[in-house]
Amino acid sequence: MEALTQLARGVPWTIALTLTSFLLGALLGLGLCALRLSSSRVLRALATGAVLLLRSVPPVVWLFIIFFGIGFGYVQLPSFLAAMLGLALITAANMAEIYRGALSGVHRGQTEAAIALGLSPRHRFQDIVGPQMIRIALPSAATFAIGLLKDTSVASLIGVQDVAFQVNALAQRSFSGTGIFVIAALLYIALSLPIAALARWTDLRLRAKVAR
Amino acid sequence: MIQTPILKPGPRQDGPHPDHAAAGRPQPSAPVVRIENLVKRYGAYVALHEIGFELKSGEVVAIIGPSGSGKSTLLRCVNQLEQPDGGCITVAGQRFEGGKEHSRAALDTLRRTVGMVFQSFNLFPHMTILRNVSIAQERVAGRSRKDAEDRAMHLLARVGLADKAGQYPARCSGGQQQRIAIARALALDPQIMLFDEPTSALDPELGLEVLAVMRELAESGMTMIVVTHEMRFAENVSDRVVVMADGRVIEEGPSRELMRDPKTERTQRFLHAVRDR
Repeated sequence: MEALTQLARGVPWTIALTLTSFLLGALLGLGLCALRLSSSRVLRALATGAVLLLRSVPPVVWLFIIFFGIGFGYVQLPSFLAAMLGLALITAANMAEIYRGALSGVHRGQTEAAIALGLSPRHRFQDIVGPQMIRIALPSAATFAIGLLKDTSVASLIGVQDVAFQVNALAQRSFSGTGIFVIAALLYIALSLPIAALARWTDLRLRAKVAR
Repeated sequence: MIQTPILKPGPRQDGPHPDHAAAGRPQPSAPVVRIENLVKRYGAYVALHEIGFELKSGEVVAIIGPSGSGKSTLLRCVNQLEQPDGGCITVAGQRFEGGKEHSRAALDTLRRTVGMVFQSFNLFPHMTILRNVSIAQERVAGRSRKDAEDRAMHLLARVGLADKAGQYPARCSGGQQQRIAIARALALDPQIMLFDEPTSALDPELGLEVLAVMRELAESGMTMIVVTHEMRFAENVSDRVVVMADGRVIEEGPSRELMRDPKTERTQRFLHAVRDR
């Protein structure tokens, strides 16, 4: 029972870290995606490089680099901020790719119709292409968000007191590790269910409108 | 039988909004569209070879010809969906030279002057029918939501679909979708309407309701360029027919005359082929 309360103390941190890094990353990802599709070759190359770099280094290594590397000697970032930043950057790279795929799924005729109506590039995206892109990106984004929820556990290694952190602390104190790990697993499953449910609900709602 | 909507000839909307007044509205007899030596290339492939023709205000021109002859490309050059590589297109007094960049302002005016209807309708699937017809009025013409929706309802009534206003495009038949697309294009009060094979994606029966709307639009005095495979429409509704093949205009003339008595062998072959179907 005492173990449960201690585990529960980690839940707000896990949720906060998942939410903030996902939202920030989803936003940065839009920018990164725009750069990847830019007409400037230099910007395109930079964005492609950034995506490759962010995606091919494991999250834990990024967190160490940001927390110990950048933090050490320059600015000492609080562990939560460092973890959020690192995970947001990784999310940005992944979301940029998800957006890019989704964009190619929006029929070319949509943009043409918007151009023929004289809509400005901003309105073409905001009113016409953007909403359709997000609708297509939604399932992949939800899958990624669930993965991210689990990846936030690496933040415990730099001292964020999330669920994984509490599990480690408990296991080291109590010698009955297995039971605690199983409870932690159930907790992560319970946390990921709402994400899946939300994504499914939104998807169905949007699909109902445009269903053939 | 499908009930076809009746378009009242109503007040003409080829209207003097300020942009056009500034550009100098063409005299009724002067061409509202003039295409000169138009060239369009895709790499080494030449899609349009020095095309030229003119269109007077109120005229309806049908462009016919075999697939791949450049009809759609030509149409898409008129509103700069495709950028020509050479020659010149003048629309409502505004010159667009091929191979040059055009200012945003010039393109904005062009697209308010010219409405377009696509083969695949291209309605916005995530918006209601009403929103499809009102959005550009708010974003481009700066109308209030109420004004835009009033105008949209009026246009939907004109194409016989006022009762669909609150629904999404996926709930409509192809013919209904294309009529909505026509209402959407009319919402900005264009002077010229472009139709890119508007019935080619439709069952013949559904095509009829679209053609009825187009016929009534033509009768109300709208200037129209229609790329089509509907030979009866070309013959009976349009004033003139332009025949294209291999990126060239091979024949052009008053529609009845041309359709009944084509001069070139190539046109005769084409008409023979499509009529034999």
